[in-house]
Amino acid sequence: MFEALANAFSGTAWPYALVGYVAIGFFVTQPTGGFGSRVMSAIGWPIEVMQNVTGSRLLPYLFLIPNLLIFGLYTFAPLFINIGFSFTDGQSINFTERDFAGTDNFSRLTSEVQIDTGGENREDDKFQRAVADTVIFVIFQVPVMILFALITALVLNRDIRGRAFWRSIFFYPVMLSPVVVGFLWTLILKRTGVLSLTLMNWGWIEEPIQWLSDPSWSMFWSIFVYTWAHLGFYMLILLAGLQAIPKDLYEAAKMDGTPGWRMLTRITLPLLMPTLLVVTILSMIKAFQAFEELYAMQVRWISVVSYIFETSGLRGQPTAHGLGIAAMASLLIAIVLMILSLLQLWLTSRQTKL
Amino acid sequence: MKIQTTFALFAGVVASGFVAQAALADEVDFLCYQDLNECEVIEGMAADFTAATGHTVKVTTVGYDIVRDQLENQLQTDAAPDVARVTNLGGFNKYYMDLAPYVDADFWEANYSATLPWFRAPGGEDQGIYGWMTQLTVTGPYVNVTMFDDAGVDMPEEGASWDDWMGALREVKDTLGIPSGMAMDRTAHRWAGPAFSYGAKFFNDAGEPILVDDGFRTFAETFVGWHEEGLMPADGWPAGAGTSYRNAAPLFLDGSVAMHMSGSWMIGNYANNITDFEWKAVPIPCGAGGCGAMPGGAGLVAFATTDVPEASAAFINFMAQTENAEKFASATSNITAHQGLQASGVDYQGVSAQVADALSVFAANAGKAADSTPQAYTFQGYAKNFAIYGVVPDYITQAINGDITLDEALAAIDADVAAKIAE
Repeated sequence: MFEALANAFSGTAWPYALVGYVAIGFFVTQPTGGFGSRVMSAIGWPIEVMQNVTGSRLLPYLFLIPNLLIFGLYTFAPLFINIGFSFTDGQSINFTERDFAGTDNFSRLTSEVQIDTGGENREDDKFQRAVADTVIFVIFQVPVMILFALITALVLNRDIRGRAFWRSIFFYPVMLSPVVVGFLWTLILKRTGVLSLTLMNWGWIEEPIQWLSDPSWSMFWSIFVYTWAHLGFYMLILLAGLQAIPKDLYEAAKMDGTPGWRMLTRITLPLLMPTLLVVTILSMIKAFQAFEELYAMQVRWISVVSYIFETSGLRGQPTAHGLGIAAMASLLIAIVLMILSLLQLWLTSRQTKL
Repeated sequence: MKIQTTFALFAGVVASGFVAQAALADEVDFLCYQDLNECEVIEGMAADFTAATGHTVKVTTVGYDIVRDQLENQLQTDAAPDVARVTNLGGFNKYYMDLAPYVDADFWEANYSATLPWFRAPGGEDQGIYGWMTQLTVTGPYVNVTMFDDAGVDMPEEGASWDDWMGALREVKDTLGIPSGMAMDRTAHRWAGPAFSYGAKFFNDAGEPILVDDGFRTFAETFVGWHEEGLMPADGWPAGAGTSYRNAAPLFLDGSVAMHMSGSWMIGNYANNITDFEWKAVPIPCGAGGCGAMPGGAGLVAFATTDVPEASAAFINFMAQTENAEKFASATSNITAHQGLQASGVDYQGVSAQVADALSVFAANAGKAADSTPQAYTFQGYAKNFAIYGVVPDYITQAINGDITLDEALAAIDADVAAKIAE
């Protein structure tokens, strides 16, 4: 045993460092109690020292620092970089090669006259159209999503046979990659896809339809596929909300002979309202950011995020001011989303107070 | 004692030689994409380069979109490879390392003078040597021979116009009941050749892009008409949104169309993947403006940020040598950019007659374009051509789909291109 220990310690310094670390721990913390707790105190001596130095009030913030640094690096840094791009000119992503442009990118994005050429500006039309199409998408997709998520949650909250199986079936699309969802539905909805061929076999249509690029169908299928892909997530939140409603309320209502519809409108929906509110705001923000599935399906209309992605020129077609224009568009959309988020916070806090 | 001293001296000299060799032997970091097997062939040839010079080449093979979308950002942040295979030849000019101090400029000018300007800065003052064209690509159509045979339709002869070809494709479509006649990849790079044939100039005498002229308008009207009558597929240009590229090869492969307007880079792909029908490349159709085809291709370039300029230049120079250029063209079934080899002919060993025919057809297309539509070469060498590639399909698609009129689309193309290339 001693030989094995000697071997372990030979040729490397870390066991000595470990022993030294624990020894310092014993010296600094002077632990008491059983052997296990004394060893744990000795091992955790940096925390104890830190607690003594900062006091227990500041310690939680100390623990938050690593997470905050990573969060800051990957969330706030891109945000500030985006703001930087919005107010500078040039094709480079390197700020040393970009000139301050003030509100030029805002003008390039929204003005009728192109400030660099003095001619007609096309960018404002494209941006406005992308915003308008996205708003139409949100207006239809969010209510449809909430309605079906609510119905599904209500059904799956009942004591039906194979409830767990049905819950997983509805949640399954959420686990799929959005790109997979896009390609999967493209196989169904392309001109010579499953849907067109099936309908032709049934004699319902004579010519195959390109569902994703046909102007009459493109938005419908965008909403359908997006709802299919995300329904499970919101259903799960609503299911949690439904299960939080006290059962005794329903029992009391039953004893009073209250019909089911009245229980739904007078007990379930009012008590589910805070959850519904969160779901509404979350799905609205998410719908504004819709991109991956729509991009993979190559739908006919261009969402705001697709517009930003294309205009940035980061996909092989760099243009003189594309990056700045895209960053400005992104900033404007971020402001709208921020307002929606604040609305959510305000409504949630208001509901909580009520 | 004397022997020991001599031995020590000898050992010292040998050791210092090894040290010197190690110091001279650099590693070249090479970012490569391939259409078929180009990177594998280069990697194989790099072994000969190592044997000759001691320098090694680390080949990183990535998808084309990585080179297209990410390389420039790497260059802007000093995180670029030493050497890369690129297609945006003029667009990357400001990042290139000039190879002239390291290579025999006379050899390069004698054999690559036609393509060297594609890498240079606009204006004509730049005379640097920046890269080796790994291959020339040329746009042009492939046809489904089996469909023509089945329909009993004769293919138009060499020199036939686009109208002749579309007439024949109309017959094939109607006889066989296929969805459409011809599909084209959704980018102005493919669109430009036929537009040149219809008389579009694209550039004024000063070399500035003008795009919409009478020839451009005529072809745009014809192109929209082909879609309206169903001669071109709804799954092609109309199904794309914005500036996005859309490959039409799947429509040719699944028999939805009898012609695919694509380019020479598809030869290997079609030779490997088409097994259920006979195909061939046909001479580029002509028109009032000539026989328009877009030349292009990929080039091997070194970047100014490289830490191993000598080794990087040596590697590119090695690949550009006549015997290696021929070996590369033969092994990858590509059209060489080496003018000496173009004149003497590349010995394509082991390729099928079908592939050899296709290579000849595309090589001839390049020659015809050089003679009759020189603006094709100007467009290829134009540093901001990538911006134009996306703008044209964006608005022409809107006109095809009836969202805007053709006049509005053409006005928008002019305005949008002007804004996108404005400094």
